[in-house]
Amino acid sequence: MAALTLYAHALDENCYRVRLMLSFLGLAYDTVAIDMVPGEEEKGLAMRALNPLGSLPVLKDGDQVFSGAQAILVHLARRNDPAGTWLPLEPAAFAAVMQWTFFSATALSSAIEARRLALFSQERDFYALRREARHALRIMDDHMVLRHMKGFEWFETDGPTIADLSLLPSFALSRDYGIDHDEFPALRRWLRRFRLLPGFHTMPGIPDYH
Amino acid sequence: MSGEADWVPVALSASIEPGTSAGAVVEGLELVVWRDDAGKAHVWEDRCPHRGMRMSFGFVRGDHIACLYHGWSYDAAGQCRHIPAHPDLDVPKTIRITTYDAGEAGGMIWARLAGAAETGHPPPDFGNTLPVRSLYADCSLAHALAVLKQTYLPGGKGKTVVGQLQAVAPHVWTLEGDALRLSIAIQVIGPQNVGLHILVNEGSKETIADVAQWAVALRLTLEAPVVLAEVM
Ligand code: FES
Repeated sequence: MAALTLYAHALDENCYRVRLMLSFLGLAYDTVAIDMVPGEEEKGLAMRALNPLGSLPVLKDGDQVFSGAQAILVHLARRNDPAGTWLPLEPAAFAAVMQWTFFSATALSSAIEARRLALFSQERDFYALRREARHALRIMDDHMVLRHMKGFEWFETDGPTIADLSLLPSFALSRDYGIDHDEFPALRRWLRRFRLLPGFHTMPGIPDYH
Repeated sequence: MSGEADWVPVALSASIEPGTSAGAVVEGLELVVWRDDAGKAHVWEDRCPHRGMRMSFGFVRGDHIACLYHGWSYDAAGQCRHIPAHPDLDVPKTIRITTYDAGEAGGMIWARLAGAAETGHPPPDFGNTLPVRSLYADCSLAHALAVLKQTYLPGGKGKTVVGQLQAVAPHVWTLEGDALRLSIAIQVIGPQNVGLHILVNEGSKETIADVAQWAVALRLTLEAPVVLAEVM
């Protein structure tokens, strides 16, 4: 049994964030598939014992249990990437990467929620969320227009970091909640480069080109 | 209208890298803009004849584009050449996608859409330009032009000046300040959606990064709720 156990659902984009990080870092792990839809197993007693919040993903690393995709990314990067490639050590770069990593949990939460409603709910009341999600994607596109002009392909520093990793799924999956990629040329470019990283893999909703 | 009017702008050339595709909408018509591996740009109707999947979701291989859904693959003339579920089938000539004339000039990809007469005119070229960005805004063309007419431009040394807006070709305007000359090709997506493809003309002193920042502010202005003037 690997030291790492991930409790996850295949269609959940926050679980995908963690699976990507594990893959980029080349870490072996066990997966426990949780019946999130329709079973809500993550809110059951057994899962609440691990994570009282009843959310996914949950990562068990030895005796420690972590929840929340961004916290897990930070933990995995710090613990397994001593050079600080994915989460820089230098203070200013660290803060800049964390700023975008938080963005994926705050401004992009509307994107994540809009997708959840579109895929798993009968309610069709997600237009406000989608508007907010589009606004967040525009901020990202504006940022990447300027980054590209300065000769960079990534959100911060000169290589991919957990900022890119935490932001990417919401854009890659945006068609699930009805936002096309037409209006985001700089993000399209970024997505194409991200797909080429060794260890990248897709999830349902993100096409595999064969 | 002159022959050039047939050409509508659909993307900055730089935004469509070789071997990639993207969607673009012109007055409600969904298009796929793609560039083959050899660098030639194509503009087609964005619909796979099989089950109607958008071709812009698909992927380019060499000079073919394949549909994401079941992998039907089309050659540069829009003719279906390969159906993975029936690999030995000689694909009927009737399975093809509507293609449009595509051309590149002035750093832009242009398309001549259905109904436009073949006049032999090339797409408008407005000299040597550097691409800045495509800016998408939720407003009408008329509103965009009204705003551009009274927009401040970076004027060098921290100054701002009101730019001079001039129509130079169908769908193309220049906006000129002291130190800056922009070309803006406008794609009308729908009644309340436009794409502004912004380029800087050679010899302008502002950096393209400054113009890109300016463009973000422009989008805020374009989308600001219109306040009716108070009538005394
Ligand atoms: S819809 Fe395009 S191949 Fe089936």
